[in-house]
Amino acid sequence: MDTQQTLDPNWAWAPYRPSTEHPWTLARAGHLYRRAAFGANWTQLQQALVHGPRKTIDGLLTPPADLAAFNRTYDDYDRSVGSSESADELRAWWLRRMLLTPCPLLEKMTLFWHSHFAVSNGVVKSAAFMRQYLQLIRSQALGSFHTLVQDMVHDPALLIGMDAIENRKSRPNESLARTLIEDFTLGTGAATDQDIRQAARAFTGNFVRRGRFLFIEREHDDGDKQLFGQTGPFTDKDVISILLEQPATAEHIVHKVYAWLLNEASPPSDSLMAPLTRSFARDYNMSRLVETMLRSNLFFSEACYRQRIKCPVEYALGMVQGLEGMVSTTQLATDLAALGQNLFHPPTLRGWPGKEAWINQATLIQRANLAHALLQGSGPYQGKLDARAILEKYAHTANQPDAQFFADLFLQQAMTPASGESIEQSLYDIVTSPEFNLA
Amino acid sequence: MVRQFLCLCVVLCQTAGAVESLAPQTQWIPDNAVLCVELSNPKALIDMLTSDTAFGALQKVPLYQTRNTNPKFKEFLTGVKFLEAALETSWKTAIRKLTGGGITLAVCPDDLVILMVDAEDADLLTRLHNIVLTMVRTEADNQGHSDRVASAEYLGVTGWSFDGKEAHAIIGHRLIFANKPEALKTVLELRARADKVGLASQVRYRAAREATAPDAAGQVYADLATLKQIPDLAAALEQGRANPLAGLLFAGIIESIRDATWMSVGLHVQHDTLAFRAHLDSANLDPKGPAGFALPGKPNEGALPNLSVPGGIASLSFYRDLFRFYGAKDDLFPERTSGLIFFENMMGIFFSGRDLTDEVLAETLPEIRFVVAQQQYDPALGTPQVQIPAFGLILRLRDEQTFDIVAEEAWQKAVGLVNFTRGQQGMPGLIIDRPVHNDTKFTMAYFSTATVDKDTNLPTRFNIRPAIALPHNYLILSSTDGLARDLIDAVTREAQQAVQPANQDHTLAELNGQALTAILRANVRAMVTQNMVEKGNTEEEAKNSIDLLITLAQFVDSVKLSIGTHQSLTRAELALKFNLD
Repeated sequence: MDTQQTLDPNWAWAPYRPSTEHPWTLARAGHLYRRAAFGANWTQLQQALVHGPRKTIDGLLTPPADLAAFNRTYDDYDRSVGSSESADELRAWWLRRMLLTPCPLLEKMTLFWHSHFAVSNGVVKSAAFMRQYLQLIRSQALGSFHTLVQDMVHDPALLIGMDAIENRKSRPNESLARTLIEDFTLGTGAATDQDIRQAARAFTGNFVRRGRFLFIEREHDDGDKQLFGQTGPFTDKDVISILLEQPATAEHIVHKVYAWLLNEASPPSDSLMAPLTRSFARDYNMSRLVETMLRSNLFFSEACYRQRIKCPVEYALGMVQGLEGMVSTTQLATDLAALGQNLFHPPTLRGWPGKEAWINQATLIQRANLAHALLQGSGPYQGKLDARAILEKYAHTANQPDAQFFADLFLQQAMTPASGESIEQSLYDIVTSPEFNLA
Repeated sequence: MVRQFLCLCVVLCQTAGAVESLAPQTQWIPDNAVLCVELSNPKALIDMLTSDTAFGALQKVPLYQTRNTNPKFKEFLTGVKFLEAALETSWKTAIRKLTGGGITLAVCPDDLVILMVDAEDADLLTRLHNIVLTMVRTEADNQGHSDRVASAEYLGVTGWSFDGKEAHAIIGHRLIFANKPEALKTVLELRARADKVGLASQVRYRAAREATAPDAAGQVYADLATLKQIPDLAAALEQGRANPLAGLLFAGIIESIRDATWMSVGLHVQHDTLAFRAHLDSANLDPKGPAGFALPGKPNEGALPNLSVPGGIASLSFYRDLFRFYGAKDDLFPERTSGLIFFENMMGIFFSGRDLTDEVLAETLPEIRFVVAQQQYDPALGTPQVQIPAFGLILRLRDEQTFDIVAEEAWQKAVGLVNFTRGQQGMPGLIIDRPVHNDTKFTMAYFSTATVDKDTNLPTRFNIRPAIALPHNYLILSSTDGLARDLIDAVTREAQQAVQPANQDHTLAELNGQALTAILRANVRAMVTQNMVEKGNTEEEAKNSIDLLITLAQFVDSVKLSIGTHQSLTRAELALKFNLD
C-alpha cells in the first residue's frame, strides 16, 4: 500500500521500456495477457517475447482486420437464442466469443462494463433484450464512455432491470437517476437526494413499450431543474453531460478501471491518479485510458504483479486458452455460476463485488473441482482439453521438463513437481495453486 | 488396429481334431447369468447387414464418405485384405462360416463376460487362430518383449491367453472367449461335470425361452429379479411414483417391470425390418389396484389405433382412465398431494368450479392419444427461426352434448390468461378466431404478424396457433390450427369406420423416420449452433455430427411399439423398419 502512495505519477504512467533492471520477460508477457485478455497460449507468449511490449500491446489494442467479420458471425450466433426467456444459451455464446475473439481486450472490457452497468436477466427475463444490451456495451467498451452512458439509459434491458420502464412527470422514477449518479457516474456520496430528484425529472417521458425505448413528450417534465449549480429545462442528455462535467465521474471510472486492469489490492493515491483522471475527463475516451494503463511502467511493475484475484471467468478461460482447446461453454457457464459469476445475472445493481469476495473455502474447492473437471479425460467436458497434446506440440521446443513447461505456460515461474507425479497431477497442482488464482 | 480386429474377429485354436457333438451353448453358461444374448441364426442378421442395399445406405453416411482420409480406416482395410488372402476367402464368407453355428454372449455376476461362437467351418477357425497367434508373437518379438501368449490345460482342454487377462479355448467348432480366466474355468467345468447346472436348465431361463417364438433369429434373456437390485435401475423404477406425468404415461410398463422376475426378447429379421418381441412374467397386476387405470379390463378393450395425419412424425395412443388415475392420486403420489391440490384448484377456475375428478375427468373415455406432426407455414407470413413440430392431444367424451361447451369455455379462459400474462410483460397476445373446417366449427388463436419485421425469420411464438375442436364426441387440443384441421379429418374418418381398439394393448407408439428427418433438416442451423456450445465443437465438427444424426434418422422408415398383456404375460413389440433405398 505504501508503494502505491509514494509512486511518482510521471514515472508510473510513462511507457514501460525494457531495461536491464526491468527486462521484458515471460512473466511480464503472461501478466499482460492475464489482464488485457483471458490468458495466453504458448505461441502467444513466445511471440510476445519476440515482439516486445510495445508491439504486443499494439496487437491487443488495435482491432485486427478480421474482428468485424468475427463479430458479425458471433452476432449471428447470438441471434440464435431467439426470444427465449432464459439467457443460458447467450452466456454460453459469450464465453465462446471470449475464447475465440481476435480482440480479447474488447471482451475483457465488455465483461468489465457488464459488472458496471449491472443488469440481471433474473429481472429482465429476455435473452433478446440481454443480447441487445451486451451488443451496446461491446460497441463502446473501448470507445466513448459518454456515448455509452447516453445509450445505456435508453437500453430496454437496463430500464427493465432498474424497474424504470415508466418515467412520468407526475411520478419521476428516482431508481434510474440514483443508480446513474451513484453507480454509473459520480459514485456514492457525491450527490444529494435533491440532485437525484432533479435528475429524475429530466428522465421523465422515457418509457419502454413492447420491448423498445420510447420517448413520450407529454410525459416529460420540461420545467427548469437545478443540478450541480446549473439551472435549465434539462433533458436526460443534458443531465448526463452535467454529470460527466463533474470531476468525480472521471475519478470514479478511472479508479474502477485501475482496479480491473492494474491493482485491486491497494487503493492508489489521488496524485497518482490525477494525470489519468484529467486526461479521461477531457473526452471520456476509454481506449486512450486503457492504453495508457497497459503501456505504463506501473502496469509492469511489482506493484501490480498478481495484485488481483481472478474472477471465475478469468480462472476458467485461462486454463482453456493455455491448453488451446474448446469446451462446452454451456456447461462452463453453469459451473461459473456455481462459482459466483453467473453471466447476465450480476447479484446486485452494483455488479459483482469481486476482489476477495471471489475466494472463500467453498469457492476454492469449487475452483479445484472445475479444474479437475476441465482437465480429466471424460465427464461433462468430454476430455476436450488435451494437456499431452500441448506437451507434444511445444515441449520439445521448450526443451524443459513437462511440469516446468506447464508452470511456464500458466504461472511463468519455476516450480518443483513432487517426485513421481504424473503430468496430469502436476498440471492440476499448477492450476489450483494460489498463484494461478491471481491475475 | 489389425491385431485388435483379429482378436475381435475371434481367437482360435487347436487342431481341428475329431468333430465333437457339442451341447447347446447355454448349457455351458452359468445359471446365475443376469443377461444372455443368443443369436441362433446369425446369418439372417449378417445377410441383412451386408446386403447390397445396406452397403448402398452405408455409402451415404458422411463418415463413410471420408473414410479414405482416415488412417485408422486404411489400417483396418489392410488388415481385412491380409486376412482375406490368408484365409483364401472373402470377409463376408469368413464371417458367415465363423459364426454361422450361433453366438451367445452372457454377463454374470462379478463382471464376468462369456462369449461363445460356433463356427460352421472348424478348419477356418483353426487357421484364423493360428494367424492371430503368429501375429501376437511377432508383435511381441518386434517390440522386444517375451512371448505374451500363455496356455494351460484344464479339464482336458487347452486354454489360451494373449495378455494374461482374457482367456479363450476352442472345443471342436466352438470358440469360448471369457474376459477373465475364472469365467473360462466355469464354462469348462459346466461342460465336464454332470453335477453342474447351466443356464439352459434354469427355470426362469426356460420360461423365458418358451415365451420366445421358435422362429426368432436371436433371443435376449434378462434376470430382472437380480438386475432390479442395481441402484440406478431401482431409482428409475421409482420415478413413476414421484412424477405424476411419468406415472400416467408409463403406467402398466413400470408396474410390469417391478413385478417381473425375467424378461425375454426375441429378435426377428424380416427383409428390411427388425422386430423385437419382449415378454415379462408379470401378469399379476391388479386391475383394481391404483395402477389399474392403465389395464384394459375386458378382452376387447385397449388403446385405440394411432391417428394418421399428413406429415405425422410420431403418434402415441394410451389406454388410460383419467378419472381412475386422478381418483387414485393419493395412493399413487402421496408426496405430491399439496402440488396436486393447487393444480386442482387452478383447474377449478378454468372449469368454473367443477370438480376435476367427478365432473371433468369422468367425462372422458379411457383413451389418450397424442400426435406430433410437421407444420406447414404460410409463405406469406414467413417461417420461424426454429421450427417446432405441431402437437395435438385427442380424447373422446362420454357426453359431448353437455361437455363440449365446458371444454370450449375452459380453453378460452386459458387463452385469456395467457394473453393477460403476456400483456403484463408487454408482449403481443393471441387473437381468437372461429373458422370452419369440413363442417366443424372450431376455435383457434393466433399472433398477428402486423408488427413483425418481414426481412427476418419469424419469432418462435409463430410456431404456436393453439386450437380446440370438438367434432363428433372427440376433444382435440392442438398447438396449431393446421394440425387441428388434419385431426378433424382423421377422427371423422375414424368415426365413420367404427374403429376397434387394439386387443389388450395399453400403449401404442409410432415414429415416422422420414418426417423426423424432415424436421431435423428444417432445424439444422439451430442444432448446429446448439451443438457448438454444448459440445465445444467447431462449426464444421458440429455440422458433421448433425449430418450423421440426420443420415441415421434417414435410415429409419418407421418404428412401431405396442405394449400390453397377452396370455398371462406382459408383451412389448418393437418393429424397426429400415429405409435403405
